[in-house]
Amino acid sequence: MRLVGATLYALRIPFVEAFSHSATERRWSDSVVVRVRDDAGTEGFGEGAPRPYVTGETVETMLEHLGRDLWPRVAGRDLPPAGHLPGLATFLPETYLAGALAPNAARAALELAMLDCALRRVGRPMASVLPPRRTRVTYSGVVTAGSVERAVQHARRMRAIGMRHVKVKVGFDDDVARVTAVREALGPGVTLRLDANGAWTFERAVAVLDAVAPLGIAAVEQPLPRGPVDDLARLRQATPVPVMVDESLVTEADADALIEAKAADFFNVRISKCGGLARSLAIAARGSAVGVGVQVGSQVGETAILSAAGRHLAAALPEVTFVEGSFGTLLLAEDVSVESVRFGHRGEAPLLTGPGLGIRVVEERLRRRAITVRELSTEG
Amino acid sequence: METKTVRALFERQVEAFTGSPEFAALEAGCGDYDAFIENVARAHLKSPQLVAFLYALAPPAAARDLLGNLLEELGLEAESERPHPALLEDLLRAAGLGHRLVEVEARAADDVRRIVTEPLLYSALREVGLAALTEIVAFEFMLSRVSGRMARALATHRGLAAPALEWFTHHSEVDVRHAEQGLADLGAYAAYYEFTDDEALTIVEMTLRENVFTRRYFRDATAAGTPR
Repeated sequence: MRLVGATLYALRIPFVEAFSHSATERRWSDSVVVRVRDDAGTEGFGEGAPRPYVTGETVETMLEHLGRDLWPRVAGRDLPPAGHLPGLATFLPETYLAGALAPNAARAALELAMLDCALRRVGRPMASVLPPRRTRVTYSGVVTAGSVERAVQHARRMRAIGMRHVKVKVGFDDDVARVTAVREALGPGVTLRLDANGAWTFERAVAVLDAVAPLGIAAVEQPLPRGPVDDLARLRQATPVPVMVDESLVTEADADALIEAKAADFFNVRISKCGGLARSLAIAARGSAVGVGVQVGSQVGETAILSAAGRHLAAALPEVTFVEGSFGTLLLAEDVSVESVRFGHRGEAPLLTGPGLGIRVVEERLRRRAITVRELSTEG
Repeated sequence: METKTVRALFERQVEAFTGSPEFAALEAGCGDYDAFIENVARAHLKSPQLVAFLYALAPPAAARDLLGNLLEELGLEAESERPHPALLEDLLRAAGLGHRLVEVEARAADDVRRIVTEPLLYSALREVGLAALTEIVAFEFMLSRVSGRMARALATHRGLAAPALEWFTHHSEVDVRHAEQGLADLGAYAAYYEFTDDEALTIVEMTLRENVFTRRYFRDATAAGTPR
């Protein structure tokens, strides 16, 4: 099986309402989707979400990196067998992108597309590569930034649809009032987490966490900016709230450093951020081996492609505490697959059992929603 | 749940819809009229089925109104009436889009299929019914105020004659009554199924968290976050 062509789609799918946190506000999806084709005409789809403040990639550099560095090194070559994920990950060469921490969104998009293609070619589901350990996946809801009144409104919506786990975006002057109001709106039966997206100083983190800890906080995500892991380790000692790392955890080397410094209670593993399924599995395994909990995270505005991959990962990991994503048309004006990947009541969603990633991507929607489309062949 | 609160939400939605760049383009003669006509047809071709679903869930106080709506959708309320889907088919044909009818029908059917197969967000039919009723009444509310403007835009800039625009003119006349009935029915529904005000309002707000009119009529709009 040889890859003979690829298409890159830089998407711009509007959100039904803006999503904001301390680092940015988003009004549309800006994912890059990769479609690969093999010599038998089988197609596979993958997706990455470039984030300048996470991996250092932008849509433009991701497109450039895929076209110039990654695609030429896999085009025309025989892919490893469909059932061998580590082989596929090794097949994809290590690359570097100037100015970026790691070109992980690009790598993830191509890895997923190749895996989807390889599995579709032989009509096998993802379960043949990643055997699921559970029959359904339970997602968390997210309360985005904005006024406290808006946060409460979102929290009520989460309660109305029965979400059992909710994350609140923090990193503002009114954090304590915000978390208190959201907890009141959700009631005591819902697990509550915070996500500061690195917006706090050490002192601010300690102050807020001390104030809200009595409300029952399951974890705080990325309280401090990505930086020395010792700062996170110190914070972990200074607060009763478990610390989850996100922006601080991009590479396997990051995972090792965080473990060595005892700087995290949870790893937030996101496929796009971590460079694909194989590396996400490896990072999650490193954490689980030393008792660090795992959250399977998502990218705001991801389409059904990354959501499907995330669901397979969440279903396959030996231990997973929280799962995010699969908002589908709750957030996007239109998703790209025939099947809906959106979670249902209580955040629950079934496994995807079709060939490859388990969804059928509608290419016409990608083309219609793309601001840039690039065709790549074996000639580059 | 207070009617005035829901009415205010509907009014904000209508205001945002008519204030959108896409609606302005429609009235200014630079809209994508074919896409708009197809989207309107796609949004409403299956209305009889959706109203029938709501009739099945209707509390006693709202059942008569919803039955009336259903008969009207089916063209059975008066002898001279035609089924509303037939009016939409007329619109497509008159606009020279008859060849698109099969595709539009298929997309409308697929929209229903998606609703039915997607995991339910709510725990019971009472919540699903409230969300569906909210959207139907919101459209009646909007059409009673705006369908005349849409018909004028299509007549002026797309050259469609009055018979082709009957779906719009019918709704501008009839939906004033429907919209008022609908607001009362929403209240009756919430009361009969024992929603607290907060519960009902949360579901109404969630249904209207995006502009439902823009979403259905201007599907390919590129601007997000239209103010409501």
